[in-house]
Amino acid sequence: MSAKANPASLSCPVPIEDADRVQLGHGSGGKLSAQLVARHFLPHFDNAALAQLGDASIVSVTAGEVAISTDSFVVQPLEFPGGNIGSLAVHGTLNDVAMMGARAVCLTAGFVLEEGLSVAVLDRVIAEMARASRDAGVPIVAGDTKVVERGKADGLYINTTGLGVVDPNFRPAPARAVPGDVVLVSGPIARHGMAIMAAREGLSFQSAITSDTAHLAPLVDALRASGADVHVLRDPTRGGVASALNEIAAASTVGIEIDEPVLPVPGDVRAACEMLGLDPLYVANEGVMVVFVPAEQAELALRALRAHPLGAESVRIGRVVAAHPRIVALRTALGGTRVVDLLPGDQLPRIC
Amino acid sequence: MCLGIPGKIQSIRDDAGLVMGVIDFGGVQRDVCLQYVADEVQVGDYVIVHVGFAITRVDEDEARRTFEVLKEMSQLDELEWMAEAAEQGMRGLEKPA
Amino acid sequence: MKYLSEYRDADIAKRLIGRIKTRATRCWTLMEVCGGQTHTIVRQGLDELLEGSVEMIHGPGCPVCVTPLEQIDKALLIAAKPNVIFTSFGDMLRVPGSDCDLQQVRARGGSVKVVYSPLDALALAQKHPDKEVVFFAVGFETTAPANAMAVFRARQLGVQNFSVLVSHVTVPPAITAILEAPDNRVQGFLAAGHVCAVMGYTEYEPIAAKYKVPIIVTGFEPVDILEGISLAVNQLEERRHEVENQYVRSVRRSGTEPARALVQQVFELANRQWRGIGEIPMSGLRLRDEFAAYDAERKFGVGGLKVTEPAACRAGDVLTGRIKPPQCAAFGTLCTPERPLGAPMVSTEGACSAYYNLAKYRTADPAGAAP
Repeated sequence: MSAKANPASLSCPVPIEDADRVQLGHGSGGKLSAQLVARHFLPHFDNAALAQLGDASIVSVTAGEVAISTDSFVVQPLEFPGGNIGSLAVHGTLNDVAMMGARAVCLTAGFVLEEGLSVAVLDRVIAEMARASRDAGVPIVAGDTKVVERGKADGLYINTTGLGVVDPNFRPAPARAVPGDVVLVSGPIARHGMAIMAAREGLSFQSAITSDTAHLAPLVDALRASGADVHVLRDPTRGGVASALNEIAAASTVGIEIDEPVLPVPGDVRAACEMLGLDPLYVANEGVMVVFVPAEQAELALRALRAHPLGAESVRIGRVVAAHPRIVALRTALGGTRVVDLLPGDQLPRIC
Repeated sequence: MCLGIPGKIQSIRDDAGLVMGVIDFGGVQRDVCLQYVADEVQVGDYVIVHVGFAITRVDEDEARRTFEVLKEMSQLDELEWMAEAAEQGMRGLEKPA
Repeated sequence: MKYLSEYRDADIAKRLIGRIKTRATRCWTLMEVCGGQTHTIVRQGLDELLEGSVEMIHGPGCPVCVTPLEQIDKALLIAAKPNVIFTSFGDMLRVPGSDCDLQQVRARGGSVKVVYSPLDALALAQKHPDKEVVFFAVGFETTAPANAMAVFRARQLGVQNFSVLVSHVTVPPAITAILEAPDNRVQGFLAAGHVCAVMGYTEYEPIAAKYKVPIIVTGFEPVDILEGISLAVNQLEERRHEVENQYVRSVRRSGTEPARALVQQVFELANRQWRGIGEIPMSGLRLRDEFAAYDAERKFGVGGLKVTEPAACRAGDVLTGRIKPPQCAAFGTLCTPERPLGAPMVSTEGACSAYYNLAKYRTADPAGAAP
């Protein structure tokens, strides 16, 4: 019932409905909150568990172990070529569950909205999120929305939590890399980070670069079905491939060697990196994974990956060695070596 | 110092008295100040861009010429090396006999 | 990318390495005075590939590395002011000042933005007329035309809320200072291709003649650098000492004249401090008086600030080739990439940082006992 329709119910101060902008009242727990949920969230996230609108949702899982992962998304800009914060929040968390070899069952989503956020933007984010969840076949079964004062947040934050059922016969883990493994990557790297960078104030450039944000579980399933003994799976998000490999080298106490000439960096992504002086190895990805398998199964795993559109450009980029444990070394095209260390902070564009 | 990369001029315009242009860097485009090279460039030329400014024109003839020299050197070295290896191989064949 | 990828050709590069190794009858000591070249040398592992034939000393060629502590501290003071948007190239954000860096100023509430070009900073000033936009104008001769243009345009367009904190340095006085040092070990130089693209290379001719050192104007890709080194080694073996231009596709002997002209109009030569090295006479640029209104030091009254650099940091000795980074007592103890004392430890290609990583790799314990 809107205030306009029934002037008699007016009391002062009354929340005036503004269809264009999120208001503090949308997080008050009162009428505006209910409207926001009913009009903007529920129609998109339509599923039986959520429709109960109880204090908690009940889901069934098979007996055994579950994998749980949570992630908060604060990306700016909220919308970028190839997706928006909504699809990212679904893919990011589902991918983390998939990297454990688990099969995702459901997701939850928590929203922090900044007062003044455009409702049109919110609608697009929700629609993308719902589409990503539908495509993945994993429902969002619980959610929460809060609104904070203007200036106390940057438009919109989303936290998602994913729950998956562990597959006892398929248990990749960062600590399972052993010398003799090869390192594969499932597609071109550094796209997400550069798509975001293109839209930053003060750095902007024009390009056709799109984020690679994608749900990786189908690729993981392809590996599972191939029968390869997958030791490690990791989606190299923040900090890029370099950081992911460093984490694996540390967790497994092994050395990793990668070959610079075979790193799959698309031409325009490489050009954007050249322009800003960035190293694509440290740029974020949201739709590729690194895969560690025993060398003799490399072809088996690559065939399985390449059979899926998401993994069509899978390549072998390196190997696990016993030498230099915890250190990732890169062989350059000229045969030189350099250490690919963790960066102390974010990678910054440079002039020199 | 001075990260500078080559890009191809796609368009040139006057922006309130400043010569600006769009430069393509292998599929990525950016607005660049062409003021300093304005007299010697046209659309299609390559320039070296540093912090949003074209600082010099790439001399394509010179680039081709010097690269050919490098290529030839590389091939020449290869020939020398093959000749040397062949010679050594012959000697190797002679020895056991 | 055209004019980039072909100069990364591994075959040609390997041939050049072979040539240098065959030609060198002893190990020659060369210095590149250019952060971009250092970047390629370190990232491609060229040092390692030339071991025994050429030792490369990574000279004071990174504008970030040589920006004096004093100027960084001024930047920090200005950036912390409430109505200021402080803009900078990305690499300056992590350079340590006396008590923090620009990123920490931002964390404490300052407005600090990374821009790609000084014109982006000027555009920001036009977009936010209620704010003071300050640009940290660091760099060598390559960057000076861009920074000069931003100031010139600001005046032309009547943008009054824009100013620059200038820390400009020039290469030839630094090369001269290195050659004048009594314990100098450098036998030949690679001159920075993009500096010469702007300036030309006539300034280097008297230096090569006076000090009898080869100076090779060199590009930035592996093939360029190896060709530059090869030309220098040839000269040294033949006891020649000339200025030679390897980077002919981009460098003309007289440079880019319109760029130099505007730099002349906006800036004038001045004495300048180099971080870790000290003052080098007439090695820097400052704004001419007619552009004083755009001088952030005057606008914010920070011109008088004087700071002493930490004695433990021997960045100057490293940058001039007097010591190798591990010979500095602070190396790896007081000074690490996580907590850099001096600028060469800041960027991954800084001389100290590069050594730090390589040392870690070479001493890594296969038994897994390393921390």
